[in-house]
Amino acid sequence: MELSRRRLIQSGLLSIAAAGIGSTAACGGSGSTAASGGGAKELTLWYWGGGLSDKVVADAVKQFSQTTLKPSVIGGDFKQKLVATMNGRKFVPDITGIKGENIASMLAESDRFIDLNTLGADKLASQYVEWKWKQGSTTDGKLIGFPIDIGPTALFYRNDLFEKAGLPADPAEVGTSMSTWDTFFEAGVKLKKANPDAFIIDSAEGLFDKMVGQGTKRFIDESNKFIGDQDHIRGAWDMVIKANGLGIIAPKYDGPDWNAAAAQGKLAGTVGAAWFALDLKNGVEATSGKWRVAPMPGGPANIGGSFLALTRECRDPQLAFQIVTWLLSADNQARGFTDAALFPSTSASYDMPALTGGDPFFGDQKTIEVFGPAAKNIPIQYEAPADAAVAQPFKDEIINVWTKGKNADTAWTDAVSSAKQIAGRQGVS
Amino acid sequence: MSARTSARASTGMPGPATAATGRGGPPGARHARPKGAWRRYWPQYVSISPFFLLFTVFMLVPVLFSLYLAFHKWNGLGEMEFVGPRNFELLMQDEMFWQALQNTFLIWFMSTIPMLFLALVVANMLNSAVRFTGFYRIAYFVPNVTSVVAVTIFFGSVFSTNFGLINAILQWLSASPVPWLVNEWTIKIVISAIICWQWTGYNAIIYLAGLQAIPSEMYEAARIDGAGPVQLFFRITIPMLRPIILFTVVVSTINGMQTFTEPQVLFGINSANNASSGGPGGAGLTAILYFYREAFNNNDYGYGAAIAWAVFVAILLFTAINWRIVQRRERGL
Repeated sequence: MELSRRRLIQSGLLSIAAAGIGSTAACGGSGSTAASGGGAKELTLWYWGGGLSDKVVADAVKQFSQTTLKPSVIGGDFKQKLVATMNGRKFVPDITGIKGENIASMLAESDRFIDLNTLGADKLASQYVEWKWKQGSTTDGKLIGFPIDIGPTALFYRNDLFEKAGLPADPAEVGTSMSTWDTFFEAGVKLKKANPDAFIIDSAEGLFDKMVGQGTKRFIDESNKFIGDQDHIRGAWDMVIKANGLGIIAPKYDGPDWNAAAAQGKLAGTVGAAWFALDLKNGVEATSGKWRVAPMPGGPANIGGSFLALTRECRDPQLAFQIVTWLLSADNQARGFTDAALFPSTSASYDMPALTGGDPFFGDQKTIEVFGPAAKNIPIQYEAPADAAVAQPFKDEIINVWTKGKNADTAWTDAVSSAKQIAGRQGVS
Repeated sequence: MSARTSARASTGMPGPATAATGRGGPPGARHARPKGAWRRYWPQYVSISPFFLLFTVFMLVPVLFSLYLAFHKWNGLGEMEFVGPRNFELLMQDEMFWQALQNTFLIWFMSTIPMLFLALVVANMLNSAVRFTGFYRIAYFVPNVTSVVAVTIFFGSVFSTNFGLINAILQWLSASPVPWLVNEWTIKIVISAIICWQWTGYNAIIYLAGLQAIPSEMYEAARIDGAGPVQLFFRITIPMLRPIILFTVVVSTINGMQTFTEPQVLFGINSANNASSGGPGGAGLTAILYFYREAFNNNDYGYGAAIAWAVFVAILLFTAINWRIVQRRERGL
């Protein structure tokens, strides 16, 4: 326990205070060859394990032989290490990955990065899905994050369990007959009647998260005002409470518990992003062939996904930008899908053989037929830097209602008051 | 003494320097002495300096920086904004902080009391065992050196509600399964169990050292006077161990107040966007976990620093209280 606190302080406050001396020295970047005005001898690239296809990165090193491209896979808390290094202003990577959950807070400090539009990114915009492009841009139109992968959501369900319960089981039929949350919940009630052990949805918290993602507004608006107590959130909240009341949400399963429940056929459905397919395959291999993917009721949302950015310290922005666009071209994104299950942010990739094949885990279904259209139709949302912090109380209270039977109205009141307090602290009006 | 006063009177040098010269020796060497002391002792100073240098760079500077940070609002990358005591004012009104502090204390109580009791029992057993004592000592100490993260993941699956080992046994005994990682009290029990498992052996080894320092004549004399094993334990062992118990109570107070890894791993495995919530109802949200969440997940470093300092004050107070309680009982007897 003593140790963990020390490590905490070292990786956190300490490395902020003394960055460049401590952890950052081991990060592979070298500041000694710093050159300004282009023609840098060396460019460093930071990403996390699985954040880019290692094969594509290795090819990029060969492709751009005019410089020494030094890729480093950074373990542990990626954002923390990046922030610490950027504050140290030494050994800052020229090109760096940014995870989807951190992009909002990075956009707030856009002057620490290069506006990619100044390097000609705006000409490439049409090749990438629009909402994702917006997600990497500041409100005044600077592009900071160049899209790596995205996480369009869909309904993952058990074909055999749906069939047994007399529900439509073919992906196309599921898509049309359960296109709204209400019809989906009705199906859940039917399923439970036929098979009392099975639940059509696995998590109230997950359901809420995806429902919020289906809208165009989140918890804070562009003028930095708290709007979490308004109808768009209350609507999602009420729907989750309704589903919970119908008894169609499974008890809370975590980690190995979830996999065990899924293997035993207790989970007939879940809503998740495209990358969730990999977790499912690894976790419940035994149920291979029984799962299918259908469009998510109420339309698609996005969960996860990431970006590449050029830091202000980048030694050769022109070349670095070339590398970024090469790494994330439609062809290479298709390879990234095969190698690292990164769902492409380039719509051209969706027609490539790497994505159009049938997936045996999903009974040879061509899942791109679901994820492709979903990817293009994700609503554009504004995510404020404090959004995750302000959303937390709502999720916490949903869990209280779900797992402990807390009164839903009390839970809502508590969530709003707690969220307002956090919003105030974070400088949201 | 007279040499010292005369030296001060004649040169007017400040106290410490004259004190150094006051140990006798020719008055003429007076001015050279302090420098000479450095010349004579420099290998010692140099040999202890790595600790102080590392301590200054890696502990003292960050600690002071965090105090500076506690009076600022800072998102980690942008400009720091001085806000005065605002962070501390907000902290006082922050229910979540008080809950986190309460959780921490409850987990401390629930882990430390059984842990120290078990450690005493184990130490007694080790003290009386004749064979394989070396093996047992190592065996009991091993949990303390295993990775907390690995142990927590293991406990997490043992206590998992529907498919965990504990509930499987309960069901086999035809009892109903307990939702260990959902209920606010069982969450604390699981975290306490992990801490107990990890630290019982450590404390037992310390107690064992204390036990072996008790002279056997005392036991023999008591036995001759007709004392039974229970009396021996409560009249001799416990009073003689008091200073050691005091030490373990203080150490486990400081450790227990900093519980972080267990709830972080237990409830952060597969929820990337809700990683540091401390589980349903925030029942496992300890003070340090809350600090981590506010600073590193919510990018509010100033507020995080304020939490860290508030926790520091709480640890200080609580350690002082524990110290007094255990010591008073010692004086009372």
